Amino acid sequence: MNVMPEPVLEITDVRKRYGDLAALGGVSLAVEAGVVFGLLGPNGAGKTTLLSIAAGLLRADSGTVKLFGKPFSRDTRELRHLVGMGTQDLSIYPDLTARENLRFFGKLYGLRSRALESRVDEVLGAVGLTDRANDRAGTFSGGMKRRLNLAAAVVHGPKLLFLDEPTAGVDPQSRNHIFEQVKALNAAGLTVIYTSHYMEEVQALCARIAILDGGTLRACDTLPNLLKRLDARVQIEVTNAPADFAQRLEAIPGVRRAEGNPSPQPPPLGGEGEHSRTTSHVPHALSSSEGSGSPSPPRGGGWGVGLPSAFSLVVDGVGPALAAVASLCASSGATLASATTTEPTLERVFLNLTGRALRD
Amino acid sequence: MPILTLAAKDLRLLLRDPRSAAILLLTPLLLILVLGLALGEGFGEKPDERLRISVVNLDKGLPPGVMFPKKSWSDVVIDDLSATQDIRLEIITDPAEAERLIARNRRAAVIVFGLEFSARMHASSFLSKGAPGTPDPVNPLGRDGVDFEQLDLKLLTDKTQPVSASVIEQVTQVTLLRVVIPWMIGKAFQRVGDPEFMEQVAGTLRKVKPIPAEVLADLDPIVQELLKTLTSDTEFAGIVLKEFTATKGSNFFKATEDAATIAKRTPEFRRAVHTAFAYPDITGIYEPPLLKRVGANIAFGEVLKPSVQRQVGPAVKAGVGEMFSNYDFEATTWDKLVKRTARAANTANRVEYRDTAGTGVLNRGALRYQILVPSYTVMFAFFLVLSVGWLFVAERKHGTLVRLRAAPLTRGQILMGKLLPCLFVSLAQGLFLLAAGRIIFGMTWGSRPELLLPLVACTSFAAVGLSVLVASVARTETQVAVYGTLVVLVLGGVSGSLMPRDLMPERMKSVSLVTPHAWALDAYAQLLASPTPDVSAVQLSCAALATFGAVFTLLAWWRMDLE
Repeated sequence: MNVMPEPVLEITDVRKRYGDLAALGGVSLAVEAGVVFGLLGPNGAGKTTLLSIAAGLLRADSGTVKLFGKPFSRDTRELRHLVGMGTQDLSIYPDLTARENLRFFGKLYGLRSRALESRVDEVLGAVGLTDRANDRAGTFSGGMKRRLNLAAAVVHGPKLLFLDEPTAGVDPQSRNHIFEQVKALNAAGLTVIYTSHYMEEVQALCARIAILDGGTLRACDTLPNLLKRLDARVQIEVTNAPADFAQRLEAIPGVRRAEGNPSPQPPPLGGEGEHSRTTSHVPHALSSSEGSGSPSPPRGGGWGVGLPSAFSLVVDGVGPALAAVASLCASSGATLASATTTEPTLERVFLNLTGRALRD
Repeated sequence: MPILTLAAKDLRLLLRDPRSAAILLLTPLLLILVLGLALGEGFGEKPDERLRISVVNLDKGLPPGVMFPKKSWSDVVIDDLSATQDIRLEIITDPAEAERLIARNRRAAVIVFGLEFSARMHASSFLSKGAPGTPDPVNPLGRDGVDFEQLDLKLLTDKTQPVSASVIEQVTQVTLLRVVIPWMIGKAFQRVGDPEFMEQVAGTLRKVKPIPAEVLADLDPIVQELLKTLTSDTEFAGIVLKEFTATKGSNFFKATEDAATIAKRTPEFRRAVHTAFAYPDITGIYEPPLLKRVGANIAFGEVLKPSVQRQVGPAVKAGVGEMFSNYDFEATTWDKLVKRTARAANTANRVEYRDTAGTGVLNRGALRYQILVPSYTVMFAFFLVLSVGWLFVAERKHGTLVRLRAAPLTRGQILMGKLLPCLFVSLAQGLFLLAAGRIIFGMTWGSRPELLLPLVACTSFAAVGLSVLVASVARTETQVAVYGTLVVLVLGGVSGSLMPRDLMPERMKSVSLVTPHAWALDAYAQLLASPTPDVSAVQLSCAALATFGAVFTLLAWWRMDLE
């Protein structure tokens, strides 16, 4: 029997208004221990407000927050040592050295003497700042400051870490370092709530993802389940296709739907940001044109013998479906002229849920 | 413990902020230096319209055994000067300093009582000659009044200030006359009618010989009365009879007969005497006239026998006194001479000279620093508003306030964590400026330097309280600069930090007590400018400053919005 792990953070119907603006309109979610929990949303979606309330920085107008099973609010002091705050903006003293910064924040959480020094050294090493430990933070590059900011968030050894866009505006090296550090921290048992505009980061890091928009929770699920919200599509052009080719395609296991298109240039499936792949002169050689969203032009013939015909398939999985289509073409005397695949991505899911309108 | 952690961090940041060091330490020093060089000697002194008379008193005092006037004559003169309204008497102890002041045109005139002033005053007399064995009398009265030199008194004058010097000289003349004249008249009048005086008169009259006839004529009524009374007296008759009887060749009967004859013929005798006295030239037969011949062997002064002198002397003195009854010529002081109430010496008009100009290029030790240093110490204590404000704003700007809010800290702990290092910095600033004032500008710490510590502490508390209040309201560096500068300058101006509080109208001084600055400045004035500070006033100021600090801090705690 599966025992659901107790959530380290449980947010129930949290609401917050700033004047006439409803920043949060009743958000509920739970974060289980040991996961990296992604929190996505366009600018102004309410992510930072939600994190601030969850971290005890802001008071919610209504709703409850439970941290490790205990009520937690802005006035609660005793659970704060369990929480680390990786802020969106830098939160370090530029006139203190990296070591002084970490010592200070460690002391605020009760670390003292050797334990403090040991922990500071450990964290400095983890973020790659040992060599610059005694330099003032104000002299650091943007990436170094970001790493120090992360170090300051975890120096006291929290159990739950809020990371609000920790890689914003840093170079790829620092970004990768932070990314790896978060993975390491999570591997060490730290629960992480991670917000970012970099979908690939969230997709790669987060076991569970919440998408917030307009102050309301649009989705909260595992990545596979979120991806399932969008179809995987395969578009093919076939010459010498038999008349019942569409029915034959639909009969392939894993193909949920197949439609023949008399037009040699069927309308594209998906759009900007979709992950598409076009294959020509197949079945055995695949070529791709990512992002075009358009199938290759027909190679001759029409609807019937000698003319390329276009088919659109909704499939469970792109890979197995393509193999089966190639096999069908071979067995039915048809020639696969080109194939275009469109797989669901987190970004597609995100845009699908939040729309394409600009938010800033 | 978190408070100390926060405090240590902020203290470190403050110490690393050159901007704060420049504002809090260097700027006030620079301003004090510039103003110390630029301001005149009188800065810090309440404007005094009274005439300043500077005095150097070297007088040795009264000669031994002399009881009057119970103090040195120079003190009598000084008391008289100080009793004069609108005169401020400045006592200079060092004659060389007096000469320097004159040479540097800092005083128009200085009165110098010489060593012998009292002795000369004591010897002052209308007499031209003293008694044997006594020094010659001094006559201090000259053509223009009192001859200073005769009294061993000098008036040092600055030739570049003739008008002021002349005014001071005239005041000195009048005062000396008030002292010298009664002393000399009193002494002289005491001599009138005394035996020596009468003997001197008698001696003079003895030279008048013969006794003038008219004097004898004028004596006729007296002689007649004497004769009448004498001859009618039975005792006199007995004396006559006895005398006649004792005369050789006489007997009792003959004596009785002669006495009876004389008694019988006495009226005619008296008339004859009267005729001789009253009508000395009646016959015109004899030369010289009768009365002249009668008085030819008698000197006028012989009339003034010692018994007569004893009778006449006091009567003469009383007669003169009665004739000039509005005055007491026996008095030796002005008030008694003119029979008026004595003028009381006003010690408040008398001050010890202090060199308020200072020395050297910096005018070290000048009085102005007793005002400037505390003024700018107080004013710049409140410039802490800027440093504290920037400290608070920096927490927001650097995003670290979020971390503080996320940490297990209360709002009070965060506030206290900010307040403590600022208090430390403010204390260090106050002590630094007072020490610099002493070391660099030669300022004194007054007679109760230990009271400066609580005053600095209470001022710092008030300043820090106001600083955190402003910091709790301002959210940007610009706001801090605007609010801070406005608060500091307005409060500084209202309180009297920018100019001496003594120059402010009384009403404004009262109004200015709404500022903590004013309380601090009043306490500093007590401790640094008053030779005998009023400790209770200093305590009251400290209490007021502590109250300001507490109220400001509470308001800051209430206003502070960490979100």
